[in-house]
Amino acid sequence: MGVARTSRPVWLPTRRTLRTVVVYLALWVAFVWAVFPFYWMVVTSIRPSAEVFQRPPSLVPSGITFQHYVELLVGGEFWRFALNSVVLTLAVTVASVVVSVTAGYAMARYRFRGSVALPLVMLYGQMFPPVLLLIPFYIQLRTFGWLDSLWGLVPVYMSYMLPLCVWLMRGFFAQVPMSLEDAARLDGCTRWQAFWRVILPMALPGIVAVATWVMIHTWNEYLYASTFIMSQENRTLPLSLSALIGQYMTDWGMLMAGGVITALPIVLVFFLLQKSLVSGIGGGAVKG
Amino acid sequence: MSGRPARSGPPEGGPTPAIASDRRRVSSWFETGFGARLYPYLLVLPAFIIVVGVVIYPVLSGIWYAFHDVTLRTLNRGTISFVGLRNFERAFADPVFAQAAWNTVAWVVLNVVAQLSLGLSLALLLNRPRRGIGAFRAGILIPWVIPSVVAVLTWRWMYEPTVGIANELLLRVGLIAEYRPWLGDTATSLLAVTVESVWKGTPFVMLLLLAALQMVPRSVIEAAEMDGASGWRKLWHVILPQIRVAFAIAAVLTFILTVNNFNAIWLMTEGGPLHSSEILFTLAYRYGFQRFDLGLASAIATLLFVGLVIATTLYLFLIHEREKD
Repeated sequence: MGVARTSRPVWLPTRRTLRTVVVYLALWVAFVWAVFPFYWMVVTSIRPSAEVFQRPPSLVPSGITFQHYVELLVGGEFWRFALNSVVLTLAVTVASVVVSVTAGYAMARYRFRGSVALPLVMLYGQMFPPVLLLIPFYIQLRTFGWLDSLWGLVPVYMSYMLPLCVWLMRGFFAQVPMSLEDAARLDGCTRWQAFWRVILPMALPGIVAVATWVMIHTWNEYLYASTFIMSQENRTLPLSLSALIGQYMTDWGMLMAGGVITALPIVLVFFLLQKSLVSGIGGGAVKG
Repeated sequence: MSGRPARSGPPEGGPTPAIASDRRRVSSWFETGFGARLYPYLLVLPAFIIVVGVVIYPVLSGIWYAFHDVTLRTLNRGTISFVGLRNFERAFADPVFAQAAWNTVAWVVLNVVAQLSLGLSLALLLNRPRRGIGAFRAGILIPWVIPSVVAVLTWRWMYEPTVGIANELLLRVGLIAEYRPWLGDTATSLLAVTVESVWKGTPFVMLLLLAALQMVPRSVIEAAEMDGASGWRKLWHVILPQIRVAFAIAAVLTFILTVNNFNAIWLMTEGGPLHSSEILFTLAYRYGFQRFDLGLASAIATLLFVGLVIATTLYLFLIHEREKD
């Protein structure tokens, strides 16, 4: 590129090619840096046990085996933990989305007492450090007898999801042209019908983005779950992973297999919805 | 839309005799008058009640606990008594508290500086369309996508002192002469955790800045190029001022996320060894849920909260001041 243009010897790179080389070099370094731990997790999960603890470790596995996955999934309780995670995630997502859709819509569409202050309250609500909420939650759950229960985690997780959900929803509804709603109302729709049949479908991509965001965070949450869940049968996936760390010995092959299984749904969802998620985070959060 | 007199709506009595569709009548009640005024409040109400119940009330009671003697024993007996500032005095008198406060500052500064500078560099690299840029971007986003617990445990495995790959790679490159327990050494534990946290957090910063960079109008950059600005000068004088607001948002978000990053530290070192990687968050957690001294833990959490609010407000204020110039 551009080499022939100049009068210098052909073998000497121009500024431009040099620049391209540097840029690609930097991109490759960043790429390897970002991907390597992921690669290492996958590789550890599929190499034979003996090789996991071989010293020095080799970068490429000599053979591939699924023994760690089999150990984890057959006869183990891993299924139960996965089921706990799925149930909890669905409950929190449905509850958060249903409640935040109407609130976000009302805040974007109507002027009412508090329509300016409430969104800011929501944004600040996101700022409260979890450690400050942790102790009151512990005491409340203890009083209600909801400690060590998955259902007790639902309100706890909503404290951490709902404010930002409302804020993001408001951003999405603000982007839907309101003339559409007026047109629907002129055609004889009631407010509710206009919202339900016209505005909601228009805002659907935003709603999907928010729902996905809630799902991912609930699926990954560790702090609250590890504090409020005590018995083994109520563990979620992240808890079951950290429980695989032994005091003296840790079966890293199995732990990494569990990591792959835990990460898989999230990675899949992410790459399926990459575009709308990224624009959702960027657009909704930044533009408000 | 709520300016009409309240009495012009349908009567507020019971349901009118259902001739046509009942649902239609119920929802048309909200079309005018009092119903119309009530409508937005009803839409907001569920979210409002839940946020009051699960955010505002707990935060207030958390601050309330900080001034009370709350332990499992007093909870069981129901004899929680007001102790004034004693919890705070106890925290300040604890040498571990000073160390954790200092560690928190180091942890936050290291993370914010590294994540913002790396995130900005990556965003600039990925901004121009180039061959294969999609694949690079997807790969660079992977740390952001992986669940935090999985990422932390993977790094813990890589740091393993006897067969960890981090040791092997550093040895092969020649940076170290022998394997070292990165997480088990008081000199390196906080740094080692910081590396993981920077790895995990940078892609999100990159995304925020990339979104802002893509909104910089092409014409602005071309105009600068016409004027002969190139390279660093173009970056410093033209591009960075354009993404200032996004940069500020990214800085505040990184700050908040770092102060609240519990998983990285707790699952790699539990704040150890000898509190060398203890931050205020993990210290409060330790007091609260290992010693069950919930009053003391609330005091530290309250301090952390006040610090967060002050720092964020101050920063946003400074940005706002500079906007005015």
